[in-house]
Amino acid sequence: MRQLGDSKGPPHPKSRGRKVRDAAKGVLYGMAAHGHVTAALRTRMYLEHLFMFITLGDMLGVPVIPPYYSLKILPYAVPNIKSWKQRVFRERDFTDQVF
Amino acid sequence: MVDFLATPFLWVVATIVLYGIAYWGYAKWIDRNVWRSDAKKTTPAHMYMDGVEYFPTSRYVLWGYQFKSVAALGPILGPFIGITFGWLPALIWIIAGNFFIGWLQDYGSMMLSVRKEGRSFGPITYEFTGARGRTNLLAFVLFYLIIISAAFIALIASFWNAFPGTFVATIGIILAGVLCGQLLYRFKVNVFAVTGIGLALVVVSIYLGVAFPVSLPWGVWNVPVWAFICAIILYAAAVLPTPTFIQPTNYLAFYPAYAAIILILVGALLTPFWPIQIGSFVIGPPAPINVQMPAGPFLTDPQGILGPIWPILFVAIACGAISGWHSLVSSSSSSKQLDIETDALPVGGGAMFSEGLLALASLIAYMVLVPSFFAGRTNVAAWVAGAVVLTSPFLGNLTAPVLTTFFGLVLIIYALTVQALVTRFFRLVAGETWAEGRFHALSNKHVSTVVGLAVPWGFAVSGSWWALWLYFGGANQLLAGLAIMLITIHLARTRAPTRYSLVPGAFMIVTTLAALLWQIYTFGNSVVQYLGNVPYPSGTNADPSVWILRNVRPPINVKDYAFVALGINAVFVLVGVILFIAGLSMAIRLFQSYRSSLAEARAKAPAAADGGSRED
Repeated sequence: MRQLGDSKGPPHPKSRGRKVRDAAKGVLYGMAAHGHVTAALRTRMYLEHLFMFITLGDMLGVPVIPPYYSLKILPYAVPNIKSWKQRVFRERDFTDQVF
Repeated sequence: MVDFLATPFLWVVATIVLYGIAYWGYAKWIDRNVWRSDAKKTTPAHMYMDGVEYFPTSRYVLWGYQFKSVAALGPILGPFIGITFGWLPALIWIIAGNFFIGWLQDYGSMMLSVRKEGRSFGPITYEFTGARGRTNLLAFVLFYLIIISAAFIALIASFWNAFPGTFVATIGIILAGVLCGQLLYRFKVNVFAVTGIGLALVVVSIYLGVAFPVSLPWGVWNVPVWAFICAIILYAAAVLPTPTFIQPTNYLAFYPAYAAIILILVGALLTPFWPIQIGSFVIGPPAPINVQMPAGPFLTDPQGILGPIWPILFVAIACGAISGWHSLVSSSSSSKQLDIETDALPVGGGAMFSEGLLALASLIAYMVLVPSFFAGRTNVAAWVAGAVVLTSPFLGNLTAPVLTTFFGLVLIIYALTVQALVTRFFRLVAGETWAEGRFHALSNKHVSTVVGLAVPWGFAVSGSWWALWLYFGGANQLLAGLAIMLITIHLARTRAPTRYSLVPGAFMIVTTLAALLWQIYTFGNSVVQYLGNVPYPSGTNADPSVWILRNVRPPINVKDYAFVALGINAVFVLVGVILFIAGLSMAIRLFQSYRSSLAEARAKAPAAADGGSRED
């Protein structure tokens, strides 16, 4: 899965001019917007954590909503469970919050 | 005949060449032989890819992000104090500091975090020095953030006071940012259209600032009032959701801030060639723009305020030569997005060398001014004046008031955008520190933000900004020294050569602890001399109260407020002592950890001199 501003482009060779233009675009994007994009993604991540906690709290022994509704939502939440677990269990520290 | 030696041109070219040698020579050598970066090794961005914190990003994007995150007011104002000892020592430190230490710290922090699975400095400190070491780091960072905030609030207030056109322009940028945030996130307007609208509003704000200058009528009380207004804006920035306030404002502020630096560098490169004749048109001033400031070196401050060149110069110019803040940035976010290990050098090292150029541009803006600009070190307008001197020849259609407002605004937005992030970070650190226990009320977001602004406000309106700056520089450089020691410990554990980081790390720690001691002595000695009724030695005024009044700013620096000034000096002694003890304790833990790591690595080393495997 390729992500934001990924360095590995399509397999066909790029001309030198195209490479320079892409690099310039990348630098400008990195300076102007990359931090904001990652901050927005992080905000969404915390909202998703909250959503998963509310809908699948049962899994953690915290029944926030009745299991009937949890079961109804489950098929939609299943694709996110793996990444949710990965993020929630990750070690976090105050020095991770600088930017 | 063009006299290149008399203008800043040669120094710009020489610095660029030396940075090139540092990057393609020394840095590449360290990358290959010490860290042995390997493009085939899986980085945390791939190992833990989640699309949010960990994801591979192009080195160009990361370079831009890293540079933007590390470049702020530090490289602009550090040279203002550093030039006290002559521009030559300041230039040498900007070149040599970056050549041997600055890039090494930024790059090493990034590589260390990459090799430690993307972990930031808190967990790494815990691993190397234990729970007490991490608590120690937390305490140090809290005080460090308070000192940064104090220095930046004092400066923003001084800038608004010095450039009456900038307040309206600043408010204009903030409002434009809020509007752009709404257009972008609520109304889903295309980002290019939003950028266009935002930049048009920035230009309008500058002209409105020129048309409607704001000057407060309270004389020496103006700066405290400006500082209070600044604190209110920062409070909003810290507690409001980032997409509403900080993000779009920082985004818009980016454009004028970086345009200013490019303009100054272009101006510096053109200095020997003025006037330029094109056909029958003659552009620019009638003669080349020459260096006006003395080269030095002056081993002590000729004005008798700052003290000796060592250690003061090395903490006065922090960012641009080396800065501890960068290690936090490198290890907290950039390392999690590094596509391949070999990108660490262009991203971490490359961004640091670029910041060195920013410090160079600022130093040059000061070099072309006459020495009287620096009398008393209170003229915060100096950088703006120098920038106008360098750029007005080729921006002839823009009047001096417009350029002054523009460059003044650039100073403010550099400070304001970083300070907004620092205030938010303080809130998060306070939340972590006081989450449990008797003081848990301090972890509340509003309470911690108010505390994180009220204490620095108190320092800002009482302490002279250069005194705060030296504490900031001391704490910042000490953090850098500590970061380099963490890097050294890792290298020792992996049996890689350590001398290239151990020597700079030890130098930075010793220098910055000495600088903190010197500052403690300066404030403490003032208190002792005043209480001992000792006449002040220099100047026409031999009044003993001058001892303590010289360390504080208006309105407190008059005899009527001598007792207040005495209290402030005592508080600064206390702050310095806390920073010194926290830093020293951390340094001792790190050196102990280094020694034990070295001993362990030697014990594990193979008996035969086959080198063994260095990285697991």
